[in-house]
Amino acid sequence: MNTPRYRNIDRAGAIIALAILAVLPLVFTGRYLVGVLTVAAIYGIWAVSWDFMSGLTGRENFGHSLFIGVGAYTAGFMNTAWGFGPWWSLPAAMLVAVIFALIMGFPTLRLRGPYFALAMLSGAVIMQRLMLIFWEYTGGEEGIQGIDPLLASPLYFYWLVLAVLAATTLLLVSLARSDWGLILKAIRGDEATCLAAGINITFYKIASLAISAAFAGLGGALYAHYQLQVSPQLFAVVTSITIITMVYVGGMGSVYGAVGGALLLSLMTELLRDFGEWRLMIYSLVLIAILFFLPNGLVAPIWQRLRTRLARDPGPPAASAPQEAKRAIDNAVAGKGEAV
Amino acid sequence: MTLLSVKDLDKHFGGLHAVKHVSIEVARGEVVGILGPNGAGKTTLYNLLTGFIPADSGEILFNGHALRGVRPHRIVGMGIARTFQLCRPFVGMSVLENVRVGSLGPRVPAGDLDARARGLLGDVGLAGKEDVPSERLSYGDQRRLEIARALATEPELLLLDEPFAGLGSGEIDELSVLIRRLHQDKGLTILLIEHKLREFMKLVSRIIAIDFGEVIATGTPAEIVANPRVIEAYIGRQEVGHAA
Repeated sequence: MNTPRYRNIDRAGAIIALAILAVLPLVFTGRYLVGVLTVAAIYGIWAVSWDFMSGLTGRENFGHSLFIGVGAYTAGFMNTAWGFGPWWSLPAAMLVAVIFALIMGFPTLRLRGPYFALAMLSGAVIMQRLMLIFWEYTGGEEGIQGIDPLLASPLYFYWLVLAVLAATTLLLVSLARSDWGLILKAIRGDEATCLAAGINITFYKIASLAISAAFAGLGGALYAHYQLQVSPQLFAVVTSITIITMVYVGGMGSVYGAVGGALLLSLMTELLRDFGEWRLMIYSLVLIAILFFLPNGLVAPIWQRLRTRLARDPGPPAASAPQEAKRAIDNAVAGKGEAV
Repeated sequence: MTLLSVKDLDKHFGGLHAVKHVSIEVARGEVVGILGPNGAGKTTLYNLLTGFIPADSGEILFNGHALRGVRPHRIVGMGIARTFQLCRPFVGMSVLENVRVGSLGPRVPAGDLDARARGLLGDVGLAGKEDVPSERLSYGDQRRLEIARALATEPELLLLDEPFAGLGSGEIDELSVLIRRLHQDKGLTILLIEHKLREFMKLVSRIIAIDFGEVIATGTPAEIVANPRVIEAYIGRQEVGHAA
């Protein structure tokens, strides 16, 4: 199903999308659009990193904001309190996020059941609280102010974020399509069978969470250098939920779809600003409609259908495969949930 | 030469003594059947051997290595593969990908894993179905896929758990031929749990009969069918037998 022809179409599609995103602020000038696109691209990094771990393995992470927050605060501390140059933030944020991923993953990802999802959720909530409790160091509700920008020009900074998004997506999509990704999908299917196939599932789950966290933290650091401040709000559960929603709209488990979902929902939020207080309601209704009528998401299934048509290769209908898979997984969960 | 040696293996589930001081020996190249009524502890024995559940006490030696406390994927890495009673293909993956996953462990040298998987699919009679989504296979084909995935880990010992369950008689004959070939051509040592006795008796050279977690008899198929304790475990005592 992953013929070279499809791969070429994927590549062409990615390049066209990237080119449009890069050129857009040159066509419609003004700081407003650059700002919107920058935040949308950062959400893209967060969503794609969420999907790599949770979309592929089915272990839903309800506290992605934990990694975002620690990445952003690492950038804040490094840059203001410890006086490092702003570029140091990026590797440092990735490293700290990975450490948090290992702390969260080791005890919870070995277990079956909802422990991982719950631990991530509470981890994010606890960190948000800790930022307030240790206000003398963290600045409490105010957070850390006066962070240096990475690049003076907002447009250049946007292009930097876009480049990071493109590189992250390329890396994670390649990993997802390698044997690593095959193992993650197998873990999603049946952990016991993976063990019987000789796969060290604990290693793959924890390592994938670490990779996911690294890019979430990187996005957090970029966000800190965009806002030029950090606040405990970064750890908010609503951020994690927004990211999960973006991935759902993008099409779970496709990895690249998450980017589309993030851009789509970010832009929709902005376009709906004119509706004032109706905005949230319209946004929610559109979301419910998408999730109800397109349970496999919007971006990835549409792209797959388009790709099939472009390749003019009837073959196995690629677009329906994820639907089949989801149905089968649902059946397996409902019917064959017997213990080893 | 002994490949697998189990000594005094014991397992409780709460108040249930599921496996009672079981000791068995399996020589390299043997096909050994494990016989026993439902709930006798056969699958539990498999789960203990493969590290899926920890034993309370006892010893498992495979190729001279102690297996107790070793994690399941490492036991696969040492050369023991298993299939499950219910087929468990990786849904959303093609038949070929299912087998490929089996070859991603440490035992299999790097190389053209797809070609290797194709070869194994040919061996089990699934040639031409490589790209089919695994969940669309018939139940009989899913069994073959299970076996191909187990073979992909390059095992020395294969544990089959009721491979004939849910299959039609034609499928059972074909699968019997396959199991026999795995033994004869590939030199695999095989442990077999099965309730379809006619086929079972033809496949195995030796039988270990288990009831209530205990080994009640071992011997050739002919010896086992004549063993009074086995008959009792299977059809009850004689006087009860003709009352029913």
